[in-house]
Amino acid sequence: MVAATALLVGCATPPPASDPDAVAEYKQTNDPLEPMNRAIFSFNNEADSLFLRPIAQAYRAAVPQFGRDRIADFLDNLDAPLVFANDVLQGNAGLAGKTLERFALNSSFGVFGIMDVAKPMGIPPHDSDFGQTLGVWGIDSGPYLVLPLFGPSNIRDGIGLAAETYGDPLGIYLTNEHMKWLIWTRFGVEAVSQREAYLDFLDDLQRTSLDYYATLRSLYRQRRDGMIDAGKHGVESIPSAGRANADTSH
Amino acid sequence: MIEPLRRAFAAVAIAATMFMAASAATLVSGATSARADESADARAFIQTLADKALVLVNSKTISDTDRTQGFKTLFVASFDIPDIGRFVLGRHWKTATAQQQAEFLKSFEDYTVLTWSTRFKDYSGVQFQIEGASPVEDGFVLVDSKILRSQGDPLEVGWRAHKVDGAWRITDILIENVSMALTQRQDFAASIQSSGGTVESLLDTMHKKIDELRANIHS
Repeated sequence: MVAATALLVGCATPPPASDPDAVAEYKQTNDPLEPMNRAIFSFNNEADSLFLRPIAQAYRAAVPQFGRDRIADFLDNLDAPLVFANDVLQGNAGLAGKTLERFALNSSFGVFGIMDVAKPMGIPPHDSDFGQTLGVWGIDSGPYLVLPLFGPSNIRDGIGLAAETYGDPLGIYLTNEHMKWLIWTRFGVEAVSQREAYLDFLDDLQRTSLDYYATLRSLYRQRRDGMIDAGKHGVESIPSAGRANADTSH
Repeated sequence: MIEPLRRAFAAVAIAATMFMAASAATLVSGATSARADESADARAFIQTLADKALVLVNSKTISDTDRTQGFKTLFVASFDIPDIGRFVLGRHWKTATAQQQAEFLKSFEDYTVLTWSTRFKDYSGVQFQIEGASPVEDGFVLVDSKILRSQGDPLEVGWRAHKVDGAWRITDILIENVSMALTQRQDFAASIQSSGGTVESLLDTMHKKIDELRANIHS
């Protein structure tokens, strides 16, 4: 009855206070909405195996690696204004400068971004997004959240994603120019391109993990914590000391 | 303003030889400064291990069964399995009986070997390069490395190791700063919770998974 009620409201049942180890684990997992999240997760997986995954496989079969790299580079270059804005908001002038240089080089010598010429010149790409910016500002992640179609997230990153969707300079420009269809085209191509890049990785995880949902939750959280840490230090990435450190962080 | 100009100027030169430059630049290894003996020692250990693993990965003549067996030998000799197993089982280690602990470690070994040998099947043609090694807390050394693949960006992989009875043993692998041990611990904890909350139920799940992976590798 308790379990049924919990499922109905989408909340997990916390362990009894008499089991402190279980309580600590529950807090660390930070997924009070687990039943709801798992339901959305299976919906996403259904949708993925019906639509996105087959399309990504067809894309891989039809377009050679060189072509896929050009599309991925082009899409990455379109993200540059957002990455730049977030570098600035995080107070990382060095990274913002690199993003600007990359954008200038790739948009010109890289022929509208289809060739990442900046990378072989020693300016590798890095990711910055608004969820990460909020994290750098010290805002807590809040509970884990699985977004319909978008997948693993949390309250903070979900807000970041929404803000970026409305605040993307390119998106605003295209809307003003009545070219909204281009926004959707970009979104669709990006989804296929990224899904293709993760085909082997996700297949492997699904095959080898005992609990696919929990594995992705763990990976997502560690990855985001690492990115926020890097953002705080103004670098692309910082080597993690590993397990011992990871174990004590929330 | 000078710096961007200089880079932009260099771009003109590079544009002509872009493909050559692209492959050459990624192969230039990062300089490493002098480290303590301990770190150099750990570094040599990881290098030797990687060399042996790459022989298995890249061999065209070896059978899948022999490859798996080769990984198993390497894994048992290079990883601190009791330590990792205890960490992965987490709070449930305490409640497990001595027999369950032993059985868990045995299954964990099988499971990990199968996981990585299926993973490495797709890794032929990779290159391995050590970036540096530095001591982390209490007797642990973190060896940073890069795995260069034929496609995609290089993968950053960290190896956390310490000495057990005078021999180096790995306790964690960090891929792009994500701890494999921690990921597994959280995977296993969730599996225990959803399958009845006991170590016995986890062992059942693991055995099923091991059979699945074994069937997969021989297909």
